[in-house]
Order: sequence, then C-alpha cells, then structure tokens
Amino acid sequence: VDVIILARGGGSFQDLLVFSDEKVVRAVANCNTPVVSAIGHENDRPLTDEVADLRASTPTDAAKRVVPDVIEERKKISQALERIGLRVVGFVQNQIELISGIRSRPILANPFTLVDERSLQISQLRQSLFTQAKNTLEKQTLQVSGLRGQVRALSPKLTLDRGYAVVRDLEGHVLTEPKQAKAGQKIKITLAGGDLGATAD
Amino acid sequence: MSENNKDVAAMSYEQARDELIKVVAELETGSVTLEASMKLWERGEALADKCEQWLSGARAQLEKAAKSKKSSAE
Repeated sequence: VDVIILARGGGSFQDLLVFSDEKVVRAVANCNTPVVSAIGHENDRPLTDEVADLRASTPTDAAKRVVPDVIEERKKISQALERIGLRVVGFVQNQIELISGIRSRPILANPFTLVDERSLQISQLRQSLFTQAKNTLEKQTLQVSGLRGQVRALSPKLTLDRGYAVVRDLEGHVLTEPKQAKAGQKIKITLAGGDLGATAD
Repeated sequence: MSENNKDVAAMSYEQARDELIKVVAELETGSVTLEASMKLWERGEALADKCEQWLSGARAQLEKAAKSKKSSAE
C-alpha cells in the first residue's frame, strides 16, 4: 500500500465522531504508510485531520493531491529529456571545437616545422662555421707568407741572390780566413739556390 | 732541412708560427753575425715550411668538407 485515504460519503456530525475516536486517531498517527484525511467539513473537523500526513477538503481533492497529473508529468519528463539532449550535444560540440582548435595549432597542423626550423638553423651555423674557418685560414696563410718574406729580406738571402756565397765548415761555422780550412776538409758553400758540398785543396 | 732544424717537424702550427715571428724579430735587430743570421734564415725557412704544411692540410680538409656538403645537399 502506497497511501491511505480516509474518506466518507456524507453524514451528520454523529457519523463523523468515529474519526475522532482515540484508537482511530492513534492508529493514524502511528501509521508508517502516508495517510490523507479527506473527511471534509471545516467547522467540525475530526481529530484524524490533525494527525494525518495531509488534509484534503474532499475525496476528489485527496485523489488529485495523491496522484500526480499525467499530462504535467509527461511534459516535465519531455522537457528534462530535451535539456539532457541539449546538454549532451553542447558538451560534445564543445569538445569537438576544443580538439579541432588544438589540432589546428601550427605545431600540430605542420609538425615538420619542429625539424625544419632547427635544420635551417644548423645549416646556417654550418655555413658560418665554414666561412669562419676559411677566413682564419686565409689570414694565417697571409701572415706566414709575410713572415717568410721578412725572414728572407733580413737574412743574407738577398746578398746570395746577387752572386755572393757563404762558406761554412760542416758544423756551420762561417769561414772567413783561408787558414780556417785544412787541405782535404769538407766544406759547405751556400749559394742563392742552395748548398754545394766541396773539399778544400 | 739541416740537423739543427729537425725539431721543427714535430711542432704544432702555433709553435712554428710563434717561433717564426721570434726569428724575424731577432733578424730585425740587425746585430747578429753572418753565421747566426744564416742559421736564423735556415730555421725561418724550415718554420715557414712547417706552417705552410699545416695550412695546406687544413685547406684540403675544408675543401673536402665543402665538397661533401655540396653532394649531400643535392
């Protein structure tokens, strides 16, 4: 039993006394099932009205209150379903937009840029590395040939070029006196074009 | 290369170049004897040879790198 409705079909004040009987009133008050009192009569209300869970003015009113209106309920259900549908569609639509937004970011739309940018940077670095190395090499080459020129200009080379010669013993000591060489001693004559081995007479 | 300049063969580029600079500076003082200047000149030539040997090696490496870069780019 879902609900108990107390009702009656007309009658005098005497007939209503039974609804004010202590046993009936206590039974109603202790009842675990919801009780609707629909005895009516504002003036001489029976005591069950005071202990019932709900008081209705007529049996019809009691029935109306106990049973929900089908049309109204159906409307509520269909509204709720519609709202659920809208929410779900809206949620899915939001997620679709979110994901497509993320996917259209440049980094995902063209992941090659990850590599391309770095690859370009590396080839530029490689190029400048090469250029720097070449520049250094050119500078050093110029410096060395300059130094060699200086060595020659400051050395006896120019004098040798004019046809003079330098005579040395095999230890590299320059001979300036004929007596510095004994007969048969090996000597070294340095000419502009190189060394010439000889023997003193 | 004379006996006195054998050590040049083992020199690094910077060692040879720095000594070449010193040789030039020494010759520039003009106060060296003929014998000393002959030795300095010979040493200077040996040092300059060593430097150029290093540089032409470096140049060859650069050209090789440039070539391989070109062929890998194609």
